[in-house]
Amino acid sequence: MARLLPYPKPPAPPLSPTKSISASPKTALLVESDKSLLSFFRRFLTDEGYAVRTAANSEEGLRLYRDCAPFMVVFIDYWVRQRNGMGIDWLAPQIHGVGLAKAIREINPSQGMIIAALDYQNAGEVPRPRELMDIPLLTDIRNFHLCSLLEKIEVERAIEALTPSELLRLRQFADFRLRGLGRAARGRTGGDLLGEALLGTLIGAETTRKGRHWNKDVDFVRHLTGAMQSISNCWKRQFKDTEAYLISEFPIRDAEGHEHSPLDNVASGDAAADQLLIEKDEEDRVLTIFKDDPEATQVLQGLLDGLKKTEIMARSGLDKKKLAATERRIRVKLLGRTNGGSMGEKHGR
Amino acid sequence: MKNMADKRNHDERLEILMNQLAESVLGLSDPAILAETCEAGADPQREAKRTRLVLRQASKALDNVNKRLSNLGHTINSNGWYRGHLGYHNTCITCGSFVSFTPATGEMRGEALDGLCAQSDQYTIRRRKASR
Repeated sequence: MARLLPYPKPPAPPLSPTKSISASPKTALLVESDKSLLSFFRRFLTDEGYAVRTAANSEEGLRLYRDCAPFMVVFIDYWVRQRNGMGIDWLAPQIHGVGLAKAIREINPSQGMIIAALDYQNAGEVPRPRELMDIPLLTDIRNFHLCSLLEKIEVERAIEALTPSELLRLRQFADFRLRGLGRAARGRTGGDLLGEALLGTLIGAETTRKGRHWNKDVDFVRHLTGAMQSISNCWKRQFKDTEAYLISEFPIRDAEGHEHSPLDNVASGDAAADQLLIEKDEEDRVLTIFKDDPEATQVLQGLLDGLKKTEIMARSGLDKKKLAATERRIRVKLLGRTNGGSMGEKHGR
Repeated sequence: MKNMADKRNHDERLEILMNQLAESVLGLSDPAILAETCEAGADPQREAKRTRLVLRQASKALDNVNKRLSNLGHTINSNGWYRGHLGYHNTCITCGSFVSFTPATGEMRGEALDGLCAQSDQYTIRRRKASR
């Protein structure tokens, strides 16, 4: 029998009580033959709020999966044994962990899985069939790596669970926020803003390094709209920082003959004249769309002036119901592609 | 002077308007948002599908970066990404090499992509290597 290398054993304080599988929204199936690693991963998953089922071999793992699925995540050791008491042929290709992943894939193609391949230096070394290439591999024991893999599975699950109306809300929110950026949008689309919000969620990073991790107590749509708000504000700030410079008409030359503006790097408090005209044009364009709708024009003027709904109602004489109907007309028209919105394109036709 | 001040506020006024409209969308009922999308001339199912695809693609872009780095043995702290003007940046916590990617294009750059992580063995558990 070959000698095993020692590996760090985690201390063994008593495990916190496992939550009832049926009571927990986050469930995990952990398939691991190595007792120390089983204990380590079980503790980790429990600490992350998962109710954990464990199996010591691939056959038991598959049986548990058939009996108790779905799980939010199935965690499989690449080197798991087929059944208890069986040895591992260290020289042969390991097939039981991969075989279990394949069997689970056949039962539920969208099941979130992680394969722990801790014996390998990098994921590129781990032999696995092409159809399992998309399953994330854990080759590093450090906690944040496992945390990010779990976070990704949870976020992907949340994406798939979004209803059509939730997706449309996100889309329209993104489109309006982006249009509010004006020139600061720099050719980006509402889709770009939404994509950035998701990336920020997965990455948890921002220029401030403050992070945008999804607090699972917050609804996913609410989280993404909050992220979009903060990203669009950030884009606006970046635009102001980089664009609001005056260009001098009186360049000066230094001793080496290089041309400089005396105003180089001096931030201007005023926007450039062409920029002001573009902004004014956009406001006028929006108002022109509604030139035949006096109620919409009044509501738009109120919104442009930053009035609250009660103030708009008082100014325009509209009641709550009429204001809602007018807002609806405004949204529908502005969303249309002919009025600068992103909807109404005949895709694929 | 007043004219200049008014002009300066055009972008702020437009921003307030659009942000208010964005907020108002969140309060709409499910049937109302579906109906509005139809009225705007779009197919709600198709628009919803497109939006889900946007989210999936963003996730996929990050996945591609992580997979490529992982295949090279680099370890990236997922909380260590920071947003620069041209994309996201990070460094391998093991060897310190730099990587960046642009979400819109999926383009990756940096010395971390040049080869295997020089020190990736440091934290890897080698429980069976000697036996293989």
